[in-house]
Amino acid sequence: MASSHSDAARMEQIITEFFAKSLHIILETRSPYMSSRNFSGEQTVSSPSSSSSSSSSVRPRDKWFNLALRECPEALENLDLWRQSNLEPMVVDVILVKRSLDWDPINFSPKPELPKNLSSKEAYLNCWNSDQEELGTEGQCEKIIERWVVQYEVRKTKGGGKGGKRSSSNLLSLLYKKSMLLLRSLYVTVRLLPAYKIFRDLNLTGQIRSYSLAHRVSSFAEPFTRREEAEMQRFSFGPVDTSCGRLCLSVMYRSSLSDVSSEGFTPMSPQFIPDYVGSPLADPLKRFPSVPMSHGSPSLPFSRRHSWSFDQYRASPPISISPSPTYSEPYAPTSNPCRFPPPSLPPHPPETSNRRKDNASFDEYCPSPTFSPSPSPSPPIYIPGSHISKVLLRSESAPVNIPTKKLQTSSLKNPNLPPSPPLKGTRGGTPRADKTMVPTQLNATVEKMLVGKDDSKRYTGVKISISRSSSRSFHEDFDESELTCPFDVDDDDIIDHGTRPESFDQKGCLREPLEPGGLMPMRKSQGAAVGALINPESGSPFGVAAAII
Amino acid sequence: MNCEVCQLKELEVEHYEIREVLRCILHTIIFHRALGLVRPKEIDLELFEITYVQCGDVDVEKKIDEKIEQFICWVEKHPNKKSQICLSFFEVKNKQASWFTNKIERLYWEQWYINLNVAQQPKVHSSKSYSSKVVDPGENAHEERSVRRATLEASLRDVLFQIIRFVNDKKEHVPPIPNREGVISFPYEITIPSSSDSAFGMDMIKRMLQTGHPTMLS
Repeated sequence: MASSHSDAARMEQIITEFFAKSLHIILETRSPYMSSRNFSGEQTVSSPSSSSSSSSSVRPRDKWFNLALRECPEALENLDLWRQSNLEPMVVDVILVKRSLDWDPINFSPKPELPKNLSSKEAYLNCWNSDQEELGTEGQCEKIIERWVVQYEVRKTKGGGKGGKRSSSNLLSLLYKKSMLLLRSLYVTVRLLPAYKIFRDLNLTGQIRSYSLAHRVSSFAEPFTRREEAEMQRFSFGPVDTSCGRLCLSVMYRSSLSDVSSEGFTPMSPQFIPDYVGSPLADPLKRFPSVPMSHGSPSLPFSRRHSWSFDQYRASPPISISPSPTYSEPYAPTSNPCRFPPPSLPPHPPETSNRRKDNASFDEYCPSPTFSPSPSPSPPIYIPGSHISKVLLRSESAPVNIPTKKLQTSSLKNPNLPPSPPLKGTRGGTPRADKTMVPTQLNATVEKMLVGKDDSKRYTGVKISISRSSSRSFHEDFDESELTCPFDVDDDDIIDHGTRPESFDQKGCLREPLEPGGLMPMRKSQGAAVGALINPESGSPFGVAAAII
Repeated sequence: MNCEVCQLKELEVEHYEIREVLRCILHTIIFHRALGLVRPKEIDLELFEITYVQCGDVDVEKKIDEKIEQFICWVEKHPNKKSQICLSFFEVKNKQASWFTNKIERLYWEQWYINLNVAQQPKVHSSKSYSSKVVDPGENAHEERSVRRATLEASLRDVLFQIIRFVNDKKEHVPPIPNREGVISFPYEITIPSSSDSAFGMDMIKRMLQTGHPTMLS
């Protein structure tokens, strides 16, 4: 009985982590990163060298499904906000935001439909009306170009629970293995769909675009109209059966985004113009009020078409104190709070003594749930800047602790089983993450954008792209010394996980999120952001600014 | 255990495209079978607007590149021929030593056939012939090449999706992940056509016999 209970809990955890991982995979290639600096403010150089040779530690969450991903704060934030029970589907909409030609960012006013209260369904409905083509707001229109649906369908009949002659452990191994395969496929697929090109263009080119990508994670979504559906294609991944149901993942996507890519943008050579307004030198950190969710329009020039390395994305990772430690933690309490039988044990049942011990530990370390799953669908969640604080407050209320050696002695010797839960419940201590509490406003990454109305006027302005990673603003409030990863204390624990130790840096230092990514620091870009230019020939009321760096 | 076979859609490639196309396909397949702890590595193709994923293992990269080079050499010796590269995954079973054999048995559980039709490549462009291709013929050739390149890119995407569908549709035959270190969970081999076609064919027949291919069983 105890065995079946823990197997059910394990299955629940696998499913929970599957949701998390799939969201991470999707958003890491759909959420253009904004940061141009790492936490120490050093310029970071993107390297096309192999990422596998980089000195990267294996974070606890990397072990899940044996897929180590780049930091993606958006995934963490959205997952925190979305977190429902595993029975609720997770709908991820990838939205193409196009700014209209007469949008004047200097006088930009927030969208009137921006909900002031995220919990207000009305506000949601106002903002995301059924006609996805246009919002009533001046200046931009939005279109859903991809919709990912991840869900766990419960089988009504419990016949599958017996699993035939297979032991439940074997079933779990099978579930885990198939989930790994599915996630591998997902990882490849997100890079083959048309939206990926937009993501790359937004991230890598130094040109300013009139479009950007946004996303929304919710547990329900307005169905597409027939016209919209006709324009989209569907791809369904093979479901993964469990004893009680099946994990399903599918995507609807627009196969043609040619209208986006064909829009005019003109790479500009840097020139100085004398009469521009809003010099970035004057007010480099000028923030526009209530800029909506971050849209990726990086200003930093990157050479395209080169091999990417993991390091390139290190700029975006926040000081991952808050997101990173809480990444797994919020999920742990909801279903299987802390414990997972040590994966070093064979998949077959006899995990007796250890399991008893673990159960004891289970009770001991079981924290109170961070938040309980909402029984009713919640409105879709996107994060205007002011709400990040709420997000982090929620996520940071989860106690964060580092797996102790006792808990982590089990190494991942059996790859058929999931890893031990990377983050355990609190032992009553205040998590270090609490120190780096919620910033009250998002940090802004300064970019340059040339804004102008007509040829007769010449403006340059600074477009502030609000980073969705609230933790990036930590560095504004705290010294770098404080921005140490709470995992540092127990580095040895990470080393001891035994997962392919020779493949990765054994230091297990989870300062990795602090390591430089691929983008330049903001300050330097400010200094360089003097050149501004207009292209009167572009025909667009706002020209294109080149980031001169 | 059955051996699942996937015949990938045939691609018409030019000589200089072989390397990229094969790297893309082989790495994509192996990434799906590298079930050890992986930190994926994204690679942009230079000739196509496609990003594929490698498992990040240096040895795998090296092995694939070696095989591709061997294949290219073979193609140069056998121009204008359709060719097939086989990527196989197997389990190693220690066969009981008998009077006759002491070999380790390989049980193939999955085979991927990459079918290429390599266009004939004129090796040497003499200056005469090159200079004769002035403006108009050059432009036409350029256009044709663009069209052909776009077609190949679309076909390559199709092949990648074919791989993804196959991996998703068929999961039962994948063996339990063995306890081995490293990124690669299952031993694999890449078979290229040997210098003699018949030898290549014999290899395939031998493999089919070993795996008990359904068509071989009565």
